[in-house]
Amino acid sequence: ASSSGSRTAQEGKRSVLGTGKSGVGKYSSAVQELLLIDDLLYAMGGADGEYVQARPKAGKLGEVVFNLDESMDLSLRELAKRILPLCESYHLIAHFVEVRWHYKHGLVSHALAAALRGLLQDYLIMVAQLEHQFRLGKLSMQGLLFYSQPMMDALGMLASVVKTALEDRLYGAGLLNLLQNKASALAGDKAARALLQKLVQDARAPYFRILERWVYGGEIDDPYEEFLIQEKKDFKKEGLRDDYRAGFWREHYVLRSEIPAFLAATAETIRTTGKYLNAIRECGEQIKGPDAGEDTRLHALADRVFLERINLAHMRASQQLLDVLLQKENLMGRLRSMKHYFLLDQGDFLVHFMDIARDELRLRPAQISVEKLQSLLELALRTSVCSADPFHEDLTCDVERQQLISQLHSSLRSGPDGRPVLDFTSLAEPGPSEGAPINISGLDTFTLDYKVRWPLTLVISRRALTKYQFIFRHLFHCKHVERQLCQTWQVHQTMRGLMGFTLMQPSYFLCQRMLHFIQTYQHYMTFEVLEPKWATFESKVATAKTVDEVIALHDEFQDSSLKECMLFWPQILKRVEKVKRACIFYCMVTQNLVPAVSLPDDDDEAERGSASGPPSRRPSVNSASSGGAYADFREQHKLRRELAIQHALQAAEDSGIEAKIQEAETAFNRDMMDLVVVLNSASQDEPYCAHLAQRLQGVGQGIAEFGMI
Amino acid sequence: RHTDAQVSEQDLVRDVVYTCQGIDGKHIKFDAKADGFVITDSVRLPRGARLLILKLCELGWLYRRIRTYVSERLSPASLELVGQAFGSALQQELADYYRLMAVLEAQVQQKAPGPGELAGQSTGGGSYLSLRRLAVWLAEPLLRMRLMAILVDNCGSLKGGALASALHMHRQHGDPFVHEFIGQLLEKVCLPLLEMIRRWVLEGELDDGYQEFFISGDLSVGDDGLWRDCYKVRQAMLPSFISPELAHRILRAGKSINFLRGCCQDEGWAEATDAAAAAAPGALSLTSPSGTLGTLVEAADQRISARLVATIFGRYRFREHCLAIKQYLLLGQGDFIQYLMDLIGPDLSQPAGLVSKFKLAGLLEAAVRASNAQYDDSATLDKLRVKMLEHGDGDRGWDVFSLEYQAASPLSTVFTEAVMLRYLRIFNFLWRLKRVEHALSASWKVMKPNAAVVKPGRGNQESAKTLADELRRCHTLRNEMNHFVTNLQYYIMFEVLECSWSDFLAEVDAAADLDALIAAHDTYLDTILKKSLLGERSQQLCKRLFTIFDTVLRFKGFADRLYEIVRDIQHKQRRREAEVSARTGAGQWGSLGGEDEHHESLVQEQLDSIGRNLDAIAAEYSSLLEGFTDQLLVQQHVDLRFLSFRLDFSEFYTRQRADRASTPLKLRWPGLLGGQL
Repeated sequence: ASSSGSRTAQEGKRSVLGTGKSGVGKYSSAVQELLLIDDLLYAMGGADGEYVQARPKAGKLGEVVFNLDESMDLSLRELAKRILPLCESYHLIAHFVEVRWHYKHGLVSHALAAALRGLLQDYLIMVAQLEHQFRLGKLSMQGLLFYSQPMMDALGMLASVVKTALEDRLYGAGLLNLLQNKASALAGDKAARALLQKLVQDARAPYFRILERWVYGGEIDDPYEEFLIQEKKDFKKEGLRDDYRAGFWREHYVLRSEIPAFLAATAETIRTTGKYLNAIRECGEQIKGPDAGEDTRLHALADRVFLERINLAHMRASQQLLDVLLQKENLMGRLRSMKHYFLLDQGDFLVHFMDIARDELRLRPAQISVEKLQSLLELALRTSVCSADPFHEDLTCDVERQQLISQLHSSLRSGPDGRPVLDFTSLAEPGPSEGAPINISGLDTFTLDYKVRWPLTLVISRRALTKYQFIFRHLFHCKHVERQLCQTWQVHQTMRGLMGFTLMQPSYFLCQRMLHFIQTYQHYMTFEVLEPKWATFESKVATAKTVDEVIALHDEFQDSSLKECMLFWPQILKRVEKVKRACIFYCMVTQNLVPAVSLPDDDDEAERGSASGPPSRRPSVNSASSGGAYADFREQHKLRRELAIQHALQAAEDSGIEAKIQEAETAFNRDMMDLVVVLNSASQDEPYCAHLAQRLQGVGQGIAEFGMI
Repeated sequence: RHTDAQVSEQDLVRDVVYTCQGIDGKHIKFDAKADGFVITDSVRLPRGARLLILKLCELGWLYRRIRTYVSERLSPASLELVGQAFGSALQQELADYYRLMAVLEAQVQQKAPGPGELAGQSTGGGSYLSLRRLAVWLAEPLLRMRLMAILVDNCGSLKGGALASALHMHRQHGDPFVHEFIGQLLEKVCLPLLEMIRRWVLEGELDDGYQEFFISGDLSVGDDGLWRDCYKVRQAMLPSFISPELAHRILRAGKSINFLRGCCQDEGWAEATDAAAAAAPGALSLTSPSGTLGTLVEAADQRISARLVATIFGRYRFREHCLAIKQYLLLGQGDFIQYLMDLIGPDLSQPAGLVSKFKLAGLLEAAVRASNAQYDDSATLDKLRVKMLEHGDGDRGWDVFSLEYQAASPLSTVFTEAVMLRYLRIFNFLWRLKRVEHALSASWKVMKPNAAVVKPGRGNQESAKTLADELRRCHTLRNEMNHFVTNLQYYIMFEVLECSWSDFLAEVDAAADLDALIAAHDTYLDTILKKSLLGERSQQLCKRLFTIFDTVLRFKGFADRLYEIVRDIQHKQRRREAEVSARTGAGQWGSLGGEDEHHESLVQEQLDSIGRNLDAIAAEYSSLLEGFTDQLLVQQHVDLRFLSFRLDFSEFYTRQRADRASTPLKLRWPGLLGGQL
């Protein structure tokens, strides 16, 4: 085989060309072999030869098939055929390198192409060495096959990878995953696995550069949209303040559908890390970068170290954001301030406010001037202990269109796990079609509002604020009922002298029981639900590590409070409302009696006033000095008093007060029983209901006792 | 066809090496028509070799392209610095390339080993060149050359910062080789830019003859506009790796130096920049903008801005001037304004043409002397001038008078003419408001002593009672107007001016540079203008307000006349009484027949006309006020809710309106009805 060299081969070729005949068959098999090796060496470098010719594969971009001259010696043909896959692989890979090197294909493609180009360079060097051997006349067909064997496996494997990548149009993360999968599929083949792993490392390098910038700086430098995180710019942080559905925090940065498998486990951590960094930047803070000595390279690390570094970055980012929220923005101070107002933890401002805004609140929602309420609220705030609260200027008020219960009804949905959740989408759209119910007043619709600014909107979003408002409105209405009942008690005190105890006794008892109910209920809500929950919340926040944790804790606090304040239980709430309505009805009845009862007295005064003119009062004072007139006056007074009592009794009888009180009592008893029954039945699932039922039982027992009397 | 047999592979390799340097070889020549190297037809080659040669010849084609570009760039005709840097960086790459070619050239000379020779025995060992070996050798230069050709194609026509931007964009490549290569190129290209930035930031010199730098200066702008208009960021030349914030800081640093040097004649900036240069040592690098460049710019910007702000506050007493403007132009100095109005009121009532500016200036001086303003700094007071606006027919002095504050350079950068014009608008508004208030209190001064005079006389109860009623109505109307004006004034002076002022002060204290000062001042003015209803969106409202003012002033004139009439009537009555008593004393009839009736009818007539006038004014006023409050409620862009709440705090107007809705309009003014009857 070593008898002739390339020169012979060329001469042979030339003679063929010279005769103008094609086909290698007419040479002796030794010449044929030399010609064939020369051509194959060209073909191995990707070029066509005379006897080994490339044909593009139909329909496949970049793939070629090499055809051998038909007239070749059969055994040579067989040998050559075994080498041809190598040529085809080379061709395909070279095509991939050429195509994917272009800018538009993305960083991962570039890096992979560069790595492959390195391999091909090695391969070409090998081909050049084979050529050297050939020139020395030391290369036979058999030798060629032998030498190219190791490359053949490697390139063949790579070609199949490349082919999949081209056919499936894989870029970025998909490409990385393909390499990774191939590497793990070839776990048995040590050499191939090592080769693929090297390629994976190289191809990942630019990806890790993006990752480093994201994890340490919160920036997405991703010109070809390959990175696992995508920024959705249409989510604005301002949305958190106004929009019930705002998804800024959850959806501003999202994971792409395809993420590299090696990052899948940490993807969420990575996402939140950068998200925190961005939130910090939005707050106008300088991002705390990695420490001076810290190694920030993420590329080519063992999984454990990589995970450690990511976790470290995550910890730092979340700690900083948490510090910004808790220290600089004083989140807990804010929440405590909101607790004063929305959860009535310092209620003196409310008492004052309800005193001065009573008349305005009695109006229908449409007639209420929010400005007036606002200024009254400010007045109340400034004269109460809340004036010491540095945030009290952020409190505003508003008037809703609907009653609490109907609003709750429209926003309660059952969540995926069967538990009720609040869905505020229905609140977002104003529903003019339904129209405001006629008989509601500002007392039913009044609510507080609070000006929250970024970054506090992260925790106190519109959603959270609405939940606070629900609790507040519920408490506010209870407070209103209690005040009404207290007023009724005062009315009783003034009427006692007139009406005598016996007549008022049932009313008295009823009033006390109603007060007992409403106070027990309020006590339950404030001292047994809100306060302990708040304490737990506060202590948990102190140990929270991330902002997400704080948000979750706050959500949990709100949801469990809402739930245990019965706001998630329309059927219970409805009964409570009914009981409250009975109370209000009773108050109305009793208070309406006042003008009826005291009317004669006033009338008397007025009559005398108009009949005898202004002097009528003066003599009574003047005449006090002279004994006779005074006695006369006393006599007159006594007479008038008797008259008044007569009148009062008459009026009471006329107005059918007894029957009405009776009616109120029956309603109250019935609704109360109803409520206790429902609470008892609900207590199977919700233990706190049993607790409340127990406490209200006292009222129920009272029913039984007084029922006997 | 005969010669082709002689073409050995060695010859071909040599030819290829030549072509790689753009030189025609023996068998391979450049063909301009095909725009590439071709193998001469006479050469017969195996297919593989031919393909390989053509592939290698691409390098030659690329080389030609790049060389042409480089020589264009480096020709003396092209003077752009950044472009030059790019050209010379490419030139350097080409030099490396020549070195490789020289090595290859040497290897071409080595003979390829023949068959049977042992490796290493032949002359050159393994270091001969065949086409395949050449392909291995040239793979890397080919890549490099391709890359350069891409850069030349895509960025070659750009200049300055845009070129750097384009290079940076091409650097976004995942191939580490490409990344590195363009990175090195970029470093070299950015050198001139860096030098420009350094000079600009540290010395304020704009050294950019070919519009390559991303900051442009307009030399035609004078000192007054230096800060606002002279220097701009040239967006097209801003390298994409310099963030807009950084560019802004760079701009500000240099601008501050120029401002200090040009407008403040301050030389202290040099210390600041020295300190800045010392604070950010080391070589600058553009490609990592967060690195040294960022620190340098930040240090320089911070120090110079601090210096500038300190100068503005210290030497040019910015705060004091702002306060003075607030005291005098925004009527903060109450006693002075009161006194001034008392003094010049009579003059201003004359037609505008007759008012002498000179005299007014004297009166202004007198007002200053007489009020607490005299304790103010004389330098400040000197800047306070009287300004007369253009006047038209029928204008009174009131319409043209205004005060002016002349701020000197460099403060004129903040208090530009446009700004002063806005101050003027506010002043005119406030002055008008003050005048109305003044007029109302003046009419009070007339009313109060006269109220006691009008008592139901003995003689004709009827007309005296009517008179008292009319006067009472007049009083009520004045009170109503006064309520409106006082509340409006309260709103403007406290809710608007004082609140904005305190916000402004807080912002000024926090301001770290002149831009922040200017912005703070602009927002201050904007808020005032907007909240005092002088903004664009409340023009209607403002117009209506001015008509209300006019009505009030008319009312004042009317009230003055009214009291004259009253006094006149009384005078006559007293005279008549004296007459009557004189007659009675003389033993005659007290009143002559018909005299009483005559007198009575005269009085009645006057009373009627008074009533009619009063009705007209009251009706006009109330309809205007109603329109005003209506519009006030729909002004959503400013926080006016409290003003309307205050104006109607007792719900008087609400109830009035409700009444009117239920009763026909005409019945509202009984006097009107009486007048018609």
